[in-house]
Amino acid sequence: MTRCIMKNNKNEKSSTDRRKFLKLGLLSSVTAVAGTSLISNLTSEETSTSKEKIRLLTPDGKMVEVDAENVNKYPEAHITPSESRKGIPDRKFVMVIDLAKCKNARKCVEGCQKAHDLDYNEEFMKVQLIQDNPEASPYWLPKPCFHCDEPPCVTVCPTGATFKRDDNIVLVDNDRCIGCKFCVTSCPYSARQFNWGHKDKFKDTSQPYSPETSVPAAEGTVMKCDFCPDMLRQGKLPHCAQSCPMGVIYFGDKNEDIVTNGDETVRFSELIKDRGGYRHLEHLGTKPNVYYLPAVNRQFPLERGFNVDEDIIERYKDVPYVQQLKKDGKI
Amino acid sequence: MKSNLMKHTFYASFIAILLFSNLGFAQQEEQKEEFDVRKYKTVYKFNSFKQSDNSRLLEVSFIVQNKKDRKDKIPVFEAEIYFYNVLNDEELLLGTAFTSKEGIAKLTLPSSQNYELDEDGFINLTARFIGSKGLKSAKKSLAVKDLHLELNLKEIDSVKTVIVKAYTLTLDSLQTKVPLEEADITIFVKGMLSNMPIKEGSIEDGVFEFEFPTNIPGDGDGDVTVIANIEDHDEFGNVAQEKFINWGSHKITPVKKVKNTLWSESAPLWMYIVLSILLLGVWANYIYTIFNLFKIKKEGKSINLATEE
Amino acid sequence: MDIDKRKRELVKEFSPALENYSLKTKIWIGCLVAIILVGFYAFLVQLINGHIVTGMRDNVVWGIYIINFIFFVGISYSGAFISGILHFFKTPWKNSVSRIVELITVLSLIIGPIFILLCIGRLDRLHYLFLYPRIQSPITWDIIAIMTDLVGCFIYLYLTFIPDFAILRDNKELKVAKWQKKAYRILALNYQDTTEQRERLHKITRTMSVMIIVLAIVAYTVLAWIFSLTLQPGWNSTIFAPYFIIAGLYSGVGVIIISMYAIRKYFHLERYIRKVHFIAAGIVLLVMSLLFGYFTFSEYFARWFSHKENDVHLLDTLFNRYFWEFIFANYIGVLVPIVILFFKKFRTIKSITFAAIIAVLGLWLNRFLIVVPTLETPYLPIQDTRAEFVNYSATWVEYSLSLTGIAAFCLLFTLLIKFVPIIPMSGIIDYERDQKKYNKRQPKKAVK
Repeated sequence: MTRCIMKNNKNEKSSTDRRKFLKLGLLSSVTAVAGTSLISNLTSEETSTSKEKIRLLTPDGKMVEVDAENVNKYPEAHITPSESRKGIPDRKFVMVIDLAKCKNARKCVEGCQKAHDLDYNEEFMKVQLIQDNPEASPYWLPKPCFHCDEPPCVTVCPTGATFKRDDNIVLVDNDRCIGCKFCVTSCPYSARQFNWGHKDKFKDTSQPYSPETSVPAAEGTVMKCDFCPDMLRQGKLPHCAQSCPMGVIYFGDKNEDIVTNGDETVRFSELIKDRGGYRHLEHLGTKPNVYYLPAVNRQFPLERGFNVDEDIIERYKDVPYVQQLKKDGKI
Repeated sequence: MKSNLMKHTFYASFIAILLFSNLGFAQQEEQKEEFDVRKYKTVYKFNSFKQSDNSRLLEVSFIVQNKKDRKDKIPVFEAEIYFYNVLNDEELLLGTAFTSKEGIAKLTLPSSQNYELDEDGFINLTARFIGSKGLKSAKKSLAVKDLHLELNLKEIDSVKTVIVKAYTLTLDSLQTKVPLEEADITIFVKGMLSNMPIKEGSIEDGVFEFEFPTNIPGDGDGDVTVIANIEDHDEFGNVAQEKFINWGSHKITPVKKVKNTLWSESAPLWMYIVLSILLLGVWANYIYTIFNLFKIKKEGKSINLATEE
Repeated sequence: MDIDKRKRELVKEFSPALENYSLKTKIWIGCLVAIILVGFYAFLVQLINGHIVTGMRDNVVWGIYIINFIFFVGISYSGAFISGILHFFKTPWKNSVSRIVELITVLSLIIGPIFILLCIGRLDRLHYLFLYPRIQSPITWDIIAIMTDLVGCFIYLYLTFIPDFAILRDNKELKVAKWQKKAYRILALNYQDTTEQRERLHKITRTMSVMIIVLAIVAYTVLAWIFSLTLQPGWNSTIFAPYFIIAGLYSGVGVIIISMYAIRKYFHLERYIRKVHFIAAGIVLLVMSLLFGYFTFSEYFARWFSHKENDVHLLDTLFNRYFWEFIFANYIGVLVPIVILFFKKFRTIKSITFAAIIAVLGLWLNRFLIVVPTLETPYLPIQDTRAEFVNYSATWVEYSLSLTGIAAFCLLFTLLIKFVPIIPMSGIIDYERDQKKYNKRQPKKAVK
């Protein structure tokens, strides 16, 4: 018992260090959970109106439901908007998406939506069905923000609300955004979204706003995929990469030349070289930091991807292949 | 109909209240019924990790799993786990830890920790959850031998070589090294988000040796952290050793002051110059014009005065 | 005192317009105010509920607000351009139209930017533009250009007003409100029409007239760049700046002709605004319509001929979903004015005005076709099931606010011509004075 108490003391002492570490993004991958919160604390917030709950079992054999956010929150690592303008030192983040493995399970979309408190139709990560030409076999294209090295959205922003950091990440500070939407029109990848009306979730005060979490969103401002720097600072993968059951999304640091999808860790340069990695719409000169591995030797037939909501299938109605499927009565 | 209803407002509302309260009751009942701990079986795992600083991490994963629906898993939170070192029925408490929201309890024992060993040199460890009215007690034991893993990073004839040595110590006072006969081992390079395997092989007669790849970039200073890891071995559990060395293939030049570009915070210089010249020219002309207007006003005033006189 | 007499005559001629508000005027103003009030309500709706009340969504983030913005600023720019030229070259018939043109210039430059404000999500943060400016952003350029242009146009407009204010101040017979007289006195700046004062005023007016031509070109170029500097298939065009300038002139001349017609009718100024003026303006419109048609053709022809995939997609949209709009904007809107204005016998005041109306409407649609279909055909296909996210259709709020813009323009115009004569009296006097000098110098030639 004494040991246990000592351990707690140690944790408290180290909490300020932990904060510093988190800000630098230097926390090692093994993170001991520092919180000593009690179940009573957690359950008291059970009544609050929140969407996502996780279930826990108490030692008494009772099940309690706890807000997921409440569990994932790291208030000691809050990165203020001005702090978020500096990148994580010495990092150059890249994402590699293996199109051969994607079967439109949409777990990346859902994981992202959950983490960023997005509504059903608000998607930072979109899964598109692309057919490059009538003969080509169509493929699922998960499309986040490409965090370009020469981002047109940043160029045109009149107030510097969107900015490019040293660690390759392009973020939006919605405290600074005036909502002119110029960045939305200048992004050739349609990666940005606008908050058109009021929503209750904008008033969420459970955590302070940080451009690194993009939560809470604000009315009349722009938002987009942020590469989850809050997760990266904890040594964790972005939510989309974490929630993909197929390991489609690799993420890592280009300086280290290591990318991982959670299961497998590989050399970034070798992956791109061996698998013919490419960037989308390279000719536009935006120099994206999201790479794709072509959809060759597919692991799943394309049709597996149609195992989703009716209205999501409806999105792909203009793709010639889908029209053919419909004609043949296959969907 | 309407008046009828009005008349019987009282009854109506009474019925309504009854109905709703019933409904609410039913719902509560349903919720209560929904969860029954007896439908779940306990999944209780216990592991030992010997870490690079020779400390030992004991880890318990404590979750319950639905007997029918295997995907339905719930972590046990804030359960106190007691860790013991066992020798012949005698239990020595090493410490306790609470499970996290993932259902994981961790206890780190320092390298200086003394363990009671059995005659074969095994450390017998037990992790116990005492149990409560609602949740059955749980217990798991394991036995590990203390394995020493040595990681040497040397340049032999200017070839960067990784040499791993593994041995146990005899129980007598001499403590002679006994090389490990055979075990699978993986060598990793530490990364920000995860560790990248660079070599898999097996230790034979206590040694494993290979050439370090020349093209691992390492961190900003060219430092590489090499990790040797024996995973889930029958006798030794998990054993890891790590070391860092300046073997990175490229050293990142520190980021110089960011060049002014279209997408940086400050614009290229020529933009400021051109804009300043343009604005200065135009506004100077405005000022000149307004200055002339004042002159006109003044002239007018003097004329006014002259005519009055 | 020949000139003083002439001044009194002129005031007498124009004073009815300044002195009384006829019933017609009152009804007209009433209607305009009503439209503006509805617009104000629409604005409140938008302010309270957010931009969700508009038809704009994530793909088409700019709608008819931006179109109106380009349209009004275009008119203003062309007004400045024409007015600058009229003054700089001392065009003989400048007196009949210059004030109309100047008023159009300033008023549309006030109305236009209001539309861009309507398009901004966070009006409460507008000052961030000055707190955290980024010089690289074309929006910053645009704001600087428009503000500078607005100040310039105001100064210029005021310069042309001064001598008239002085004439109105000196006239004791004018029956207008006391505040109005006081305003004339202050605004006339002790201008006594001495040779020295007159020459000084002419000098600065001349430099300002050059200045506003330059400014107009810069401001409208920057506005075109907002589109052409992006990577979007329909916008990323090197000819956009000159194309916009021609288009602005085209619509501007159109609006000037329409106003000339309305003012001539309303104030019975047949003596001043004559058929010659219409024909002259009509010929300018003809030149502009030819140039505009040429630019439009070049723009779309190059896209069609090189047929890059995204351009083809855009053209498909234009020729299918927007077929009639495209036909009206780029065929009827160009060819009808050309046909009317090209043949001498078609050139009547009414037909020229009709051509101007067609030109202005066609041009508005042309702006619409530049903004909306491009946003509807991005590089990556829009895969969405929500119809309003796929295609844009403006809501009543947007239409109401657009009408309010036009109404506010008309109202301000009406009120201003109640304050200053629509024909610059000083200009007439100057003209007559010059004519006299000219006659003295070359008596034989000048006799008509």
